[in-house]
This record gives sequence, C-alpha cells and structure tokens, in this order.
Amino acid sequence: MKNAAYIKRTMSGTVFDTCNGLFLFLFTMLMVYPFLNILALSFNNGIDAARGGIYLWPRMFTTSNYEYVFSNKTLLRSAGVSVLRVVVGTVTGVLANALLGYIVSCRNFHGRKMMRLLFIITMYFSGGLIPTYLLMIRLGFINSFHVYWIPTLLSAYYMILTSSYIQNLPETLFESARIDGASELYIFSRIVMPLSVPMLACIAIYIGVSHWNAWFDVSLYSKDGRWDTLQIILYRLLNQANALAQILEQQRLMERMRTIQPQTVRAATTIIVTVPIIFIYPFFQRYFISGITIGAVKG
Amino acid sequence: MLLHHVDWRRAGKFKRIWKSFYTQRQLWLLCFPIIVWILLFAYYPMYGVLMAFFNYTPGREIFQSQFVGLAHFKRFISNPVFMQLLRNTLAMSSLGLTIGFSAPIIFSLMLTEIGHVRIKKLVQTISYLPHFISWVVAGSIVFLLLSSDGVINSLLINLDLTEQSIPFLTRGQYYWAVYTLANLWKSLGWSTIIYLSAIAGVDEELYQAGAIDGLGRLGMVRYITIPSILPTIVLLWILGIGGILNAGFEQHLILGNPMTQNYWDVLDTYSYRYGIQLGYYSMGTAVSLMKSIIGFSLVYMTNRISRRLLDLALF
Repeated sequence: MKNAAYIKRTMSGTVFDTCNGLFLFLFTMLMVYPFLNILALSFNNGIDAARGGIYLWPRMFTTSNYEYVFSNKTLLRSAGVSVLRVVVGTVTGVLANALLGYIVSCRNFHGRKMMRLLFIITMYFSGGLIPTYLLMIRLGFINSFHVYWIPTLLSAYYMILTSSYIQNLPETLFESARIDGASELYIFSRIVMPLSVPMLACIAIYIGVSHWNAWFDVSLYSKDGRWDTLQIILYRLLNQANALAQILEQQRLMERMRTIQPQTVRAATTIIVTVPIIFIYPFFQRYFISGITIGAVKG
Repeated sequence: MLLHHVDWRRAGKFKRIWKSFYTQRQLWLLCFPIIVWILLFAYYPMYGVLMAFFNYTPGREIFQSQFVGLAHFKRFISNPVFMQLLRNTLAMSSLGLTIGFSAPIIFSLMLTEIGHVRIKKLVQTISYLPHFISWVVAGSIVFLLLSSDGVINSLLINLDLTEQSIPFLTRGQYYWAVYTLANLWKSLGWSTIIYLSAIAGVDEELYQAGAIDGLGRLGMVRYITIPSILPTIVLLWILGIGGILNAGFEQHLILGNPMTQNYWDVLDTYSYRYGIQLGYYSMGTAVSLMKSIIGFSLVYMTNRISRRLLDLALF
C-alpha cells in the first residue's frame, strides 16, 4: 500500500520508512540470534564455553560435541525412533485424513452430515488429559510404538482442510468413474489423491512437524525408554543440566569427562533436533499460508 | 384398513433406507473404522470426565466407584494452594493478553508499511520459524541463553550492568518475564498471519478516498486500517478471554524447576501432577473440568458483552 501513487511522499515518511525497516531488520536478527548462539556453542570446547562470552562464533572450535552425540547409543536409537515416528505417523495420518475428507465431501452420501458433526464436536469438547491417559493404559499402549500414531490419526482440523479442497474438485469425475463401476477406494486412490497433491503435501508437512516435535506423549507413555524419541532425550538433558545448575560450579570440575560438558552437548543436540525443521522450512513455507486460509474460511 | 396402510408405508420407508444404505455400502464400510476410532479416542474420554464426581479407582468402571458428588471440587477450592495456582494462572495469562496480544498487532502494522516486498517476505519468513520448533528446543535455547555462563549474563557483566550473573532460571521472581518473553519469541510471527490477511483484505478504495480527503500515512493507519481489522482483533480477544485459564502447560514442565514452582504452578500443571504423577485421577480430572467449564462460560459472557456493545460476536 505504501507504494501506491496516491500516497504523498513526505520527508517524515521517508525517515519513518528507514527507521521502520531498520527496526524490523534488527528485530528479526534478534529472533534468529538465539539459533546462531546455540550453533556457536555447539562447536565450542565445553570447558571453554563454561567461561561464558560466546556470542556469534566459537572461540575454541571443536566437533567433539557432535562426535559425542553421534557415538552415544541412546541418542542414535532415539533419533531412529523419531524418524520412524515421523514416517509412520505422516503416511498414515495423510492417508486417513484424506480418506475422511473424501468421504465427507461426497455430496450424495447420507452419512456425510453425521460424520462431519462427529468430528466438529471434538473441536470444542474433549475428555482431557487424564481420561485419555487412562484409556491408553487400558488399551495396553504404554511402552508401545502405536501410541504415537493411532490416537493422533485423524483430526477435525485436517478433515476441514482436506474436504474443502476435495469439494472443489469436479464432482463429475467421481460420478463418471462410479458409473463405469469403479469402487470408492479406487476413485479415492486413482482420482482424488493424484489431484490433491498440493493439499496432501501441505498436511503432510504439518503432521510430520507435529510428530517430530511431540514430546509430552512420549514422556507419558514411553516408560521403559524403548520408544524414546530425540525430543524426550533433549528434555531429559535439560532437566539434568537444570539439576546441575543448582549444585553450583564445583560440580563441573568433578565431571568425569574433561572436555565434554553438558552445556555444549545440549547445544549440539538442540541443533541436531532443529536442523530437520530448518531444512524442510523452505519447502513448506509456500504451503502453510494457504493451509491456514483454507482452514480459516471453512472453519 | 388404516393400520395396514401405515404399515405399508413403514415397510416402504425401511426398504428405501436399506436400499440407499446398500447402494452406498462402500462408503459406509469405509466409515465404520473411522467411527470406531472416534468413539474410542474422542468420545470415550469425554465419558471418562465423569470420574470427577466419583472416587475412581483404575480397573473398575466409573459407575462402580463411590459417588462423591462435588467433594473433589470443594476440597480443591478450599486448599490454600488454590489461590496460588489462580494467581499464577491469571498473572501469566494477563501478561499474554496484554503484551502477547498487542505485539502481533503492532508488528503486523509495521510489516505492512514496509515497501520492499523482499524485505517484508524475509522478515515474515524468519519470524515464523520459532513457531515450528518444539517447546523442548525452545526451552533448551532459553536455558543456554539465560544460564549463568550464557550469552545474556556474559553481556550484562561485560557491560558492567551487573557484578554477578543473574539467576534468571532459578529465582521465581523472574519466571513470569522469562515465560512471557519465550512465548512471545515463539508465537509473535505466527500470530501476525491472521492480522496480515485481515489487512490485505481492506478495500484499496478506502485508502484512495482517504488520500483525497487528505489523510497522511499515519492517519490511514489510524482511521482506515485499524477500524477495518477491529473485528478480527475483537474476535481474537474473545477467544483470548476464554483461554484466560490456559496459562501454558508444557512450557512450565520445561522452563520451570522446583525452585521456581511457586511462580509457575498453574491449574493444568497441578492437574497433571496430581492426576497422573501421583495417581489421584478423580481429583486431577475435577481440576481440569472446572477449568474448562469456567473457560467456556467466560467465552460465552465476553461474547454476549461484545455483541451488545460492539455488535460483534463469535457465535
């Protein structure tokens, strides 16, 4: 709007523009800076880092923090579980939500309203944490991988997203396929899915990111540590360091490993957990805005 | 005679329903597992909320347990910790409703004033990023920045603003500020999206008319942009009031520690600690049920007030 010809250019306007641009730029730098600081820390010698004063660049460069992380069996295993969770959770979640979206957008289907209502109600009411937790215990989902993907399989929000997209596909395509004797699953997999690739990519990214970031359900249901994910390991590292911080500096001197310090290892783990998000970020940027607007219009 | 007639029609109706069901049997078949899933994972826990009125012991049905009515609610409210929980909850959500609510509005107004599309895109892209990282990562970053040898304390000491490092994370008085800033960092950019799309929807002709009437840029923001996005602001405010008892949950499990507990313990964390960690299932459920009922009535009331005063309503 600022560039419109009908807006008068004034001296104060130019000053404002410069200040505004400068402020926003600095502000943005302030938002990225924490990441850069952690990156610098993760490449710094642990003992040296404890002296403080690392701002943007490592003072004593080392890759030993990453070597430590990548040689740690627990961490590697949890990274594997995280990847497995993202893959299984995203594939099943996208397929299930797309199928649900297709079902509730079939115009002549008599159960359509009922299915929609069943899901919309869950947007406003839920059983809350404790009843859900007790249900998972009852289902034998404690210490099981299935607790990660089955209870989060479908959601009303993604149903709205998928169905509003599928509704805009030409209905006649489905009708003619039906007349030719195609089954509903065939129509879904051969016509609906290929036509909805952008929407599927959009919700795949949403679901994948949420699975990658999930930690609370892991802390609830992974009791014996077999299905620990990276996030929960980082959470425990935090708590331990937290406990350490309370017992003052002396504790650090008695640390068994000389150069490996919890702080820098934590920084390295944080970077490892963040990198996949930053890596896919450019790809999903163009999807998330459209996803939000679809949800906002129809919801 | 009449009876027969009715019976016939019934039979016909039944047959019609059966026929329509049969022709759509494939879709119904696909619906079946979905219905089972949602009944189990969404509606069964709703039924489980009833345990707030019983002395529930796991392994039994809720109705086989002892019915205690509102005893859990009464016990919780008369507990001295209740006032502290309420204070923490209201303090942190008020900070969220003032600072956390107004910052995205100001930020999006400033963003729209940027002329360069590229710079605008860059600022937007970067400011959305914290939204996509988990709270564990955010917490880890906050810890590393604020620890005794972290960058903030290093900076403060180097600038001679403080002699010793400030214990941001272990002293309760700092907790609300740390929480609010961390929340702001994580959500600021993402919250601007809705305002930016509202601003983008303002009719261009309004600005042209404003220019003819001699409005400067500031005047346009004041008299055109802000009134145009006011409905959005009010709607989000209503939602925010409804969520006034939602003062964070996982944030506190990550950022908080036993030393700062007097400042971060809120209704949700209390319910989690009692209900799951200590196994008082009925008590924990009662706390969270009370919270949702209050939240729902608050949304309802603010909605009515704004409908009467501003003619704006969510429902």
